[in-house]
Amino acid sequence: MGTISLRQAGKQYGAVEIIKDLDMEIADGEFVVIVGPSGCGKSTLLRMIAGLEQTTSGQILIDGRDMTAASPVERKLAMVFQSYALYPHMTVRQNMGFGLKLARLSAGKIKAKVDAAADRLKLTPLLDRYPKELSGGQRQRVAIGRAIVREPVGFLFDEPLSNLDAALRVDMRLEIAKLHRTLGATMIYVTHDQVEAMTLADRIVVLKDGRVMQHGSPHELYQNPANLFVAQFIGSPKMNVLPCQRNGDGMLDLSGEGIVDLALSSSAAPVHLGARPEHLSLVAPESGHCRGTVEAREYLGGTTSVFVRNPKLGLINVSAPAETQFGIGETIGVRIDNSRLSLFDNTGTAVRTLR
Amino acid sequence: MINALRWLIFAIAALGMNFPILVTLATSFKSARELSTNPGLWVQAPTLDNYFAVFQVSDRLNIFLYLFNSITVAFIGTTLAVVLALPAAYAIARGKLGERTLLPFIVNLRAVPLIIFAIPLYMMFQWLALLDTRLGLGLILSIVNLPLALVILVNAIRDLPAELDEAALMDGASRAQILLSVIAPVCRPAIVTSLIFGFITAWNEFLFGLMLTTSKAVPITVGASFFFAASGGGVQWGVASAVMVVGALPPILLGLIMYRQISGSMTAGAVKG
Repeated sequence: MGTISLRQAGKQYGAVEIIKDLDMEIADGEFVVIVGPSGCGKSTLLRMIAGLEQTTSGQILIDGRDMTAASPVERKLAMVFQSYALYPHMTVRQNMGFGLKLARLSAGKIKAKVDAAADRLKLTPLLDRYPKELSGGQRQRVAIGRAIVREPVGFLFDEPLSNLDAALRVDMRLEIAKLHRTLGATMIYVTHDQVEAMTLADRIVVLKDGRVMQHGSPHELYQNPANLFVAQFIGSPKMNVLPCQRNGDGMLDLSGEGIVDLALSSSAAPVHLGARPEHLSLVAPESGHCRGTVEAREYLGGTTSVFVRNPKLGLINVSAPAETQFGIGETIGVRIDNSRLSLFDNTGTAVRTLR
Repeated sequence: MINALRWLIFAIAALGMNFPILVTLATSFKSARELSTNPGLWVQAPTLDNYFAVFQVSDRLNIFLYLFNSITVAFIGTTLAVVLALPAAYAIARGKLGERTLLPFIVNLRAVPLIIFAIPLYMMFQWLALLDTRLGLGLILSIVNLPLALVILVNAIRDLPAELDEAALMDGASRAQILLSVIAPVCRPAIVTSLIFGFITAWNEFLFGLMLTTSKAVPITVGASFFFAASGGGVQWGVASAVMVVGALPPILLGLIMYRQISGSMTAGAVKG
């Protein structure tokens, strides 16, 4: 079992509130990714759950038991650190067995558990090496191995891949996903990288200034962001946000640059239109919802990002077919797929359309 | 050509800086007769007579006892200082305990002229029956060594990533276990450095040795001075030089043996790559 609940949990340093009355329920076996910009409190939150950081208000429950004041080891959680934090004077075997040794397991049992974990992570040939003799990816696997030998009720990952190069990061991401499938254990994973969040999570929690902005499946967050912050944070490249207002016919007026035919409910008063680059298309100037001049082009292989400048709407990123040929400075029309756009009011909260 | 010039300058500098040592070494191998006629570095008729005189045990002089005393008090004065400084440094570096006032205060103790402690210590030691004992001198030397050991260890522990402690906490280690099983082994170069500097300081200490010992616990620094005019009538330079060479050997040997322990980074591979 490995359910983790936060009830009105908060963290204060003096007068500064890092985490504000946070409620969260994490089911057994769930893979939750906490994502947010730097300084949003995501690492602090993870460390509160781990017991490395004191929770100043509210409760943390693990498997229904109040663990708010419990020591890290009593919580039976394991953590993988950003810097790996391997013990430099111990071999891989000793690193992985250290926690078991402290728990006074017999040498035979320790060996069996370490061997099993090493086998799972393909670390067997490295067991007698020291951390300094390993590559970054191998060190990270040892750190994961150290976590799994203890058979914890849950795993905590604190930006575990951010010290690895891009190619290795993709491999390790797949390995962590596989580990989650085979172990079926609860995992909480902190990252600032929304791609990691999208690919790994059963559920993403978006944090900003110590508050949850939205939580839900990657699909839900991508398709129906609850607010402007989530809309712009999730998704790469970023969602375009264009100023707009409701006109007399209940349609959307793009600051006088064009009209988007969209039936709005009578109370809705959106001021921001959010459209992802892949939901925009380039057309002839007269047949678009708005027009602009091509300012820059980025060839990405599969697609080309075309940046169109409109004096009132700003820079619009359109994801176009790879072989699109538009010259810089050319005037062009942008068409918005009105079934896929998001609308936000002046507080940044999502406005539902009638569909 | 440039290279040869460079080596020449090195050689001159090395000779200049080590001149006193070379003179002492040369003098220790000269007979009394040669000393009066040949002041140079070259020994015409080398002799070991001065060394035989030094190693001759008599009622008044016992070089073996002085060496044993020095080794014992330096051992106590060094290990005790490091044993006390390590947990203190951990508490200061990680717990921020006494970082603001206590640490500067202890470090400043080192700046105070030691003679200030002389009279109160003599009286205290008299009362505690620690006068002329190796334990007494060792205790004082540990106080002398504590500030430097503390500074070295605090800095070493501060340089270690806090995630190392946290990983051990997650593994279920107590603070004492973290200190002994993780911090101490990783800080080994700093610990060895403190031990070596402490040993050298303790070995060379003269003031407290002179003040607090009379016969049983006399260290080599004080004992060596007994040889200078051992047979009356003026300083015997040959014997004095020989006893100085004997007294200087242990710390030099220790330094050479332990140097390997200081160099080499222990934290390599702990974090990042």
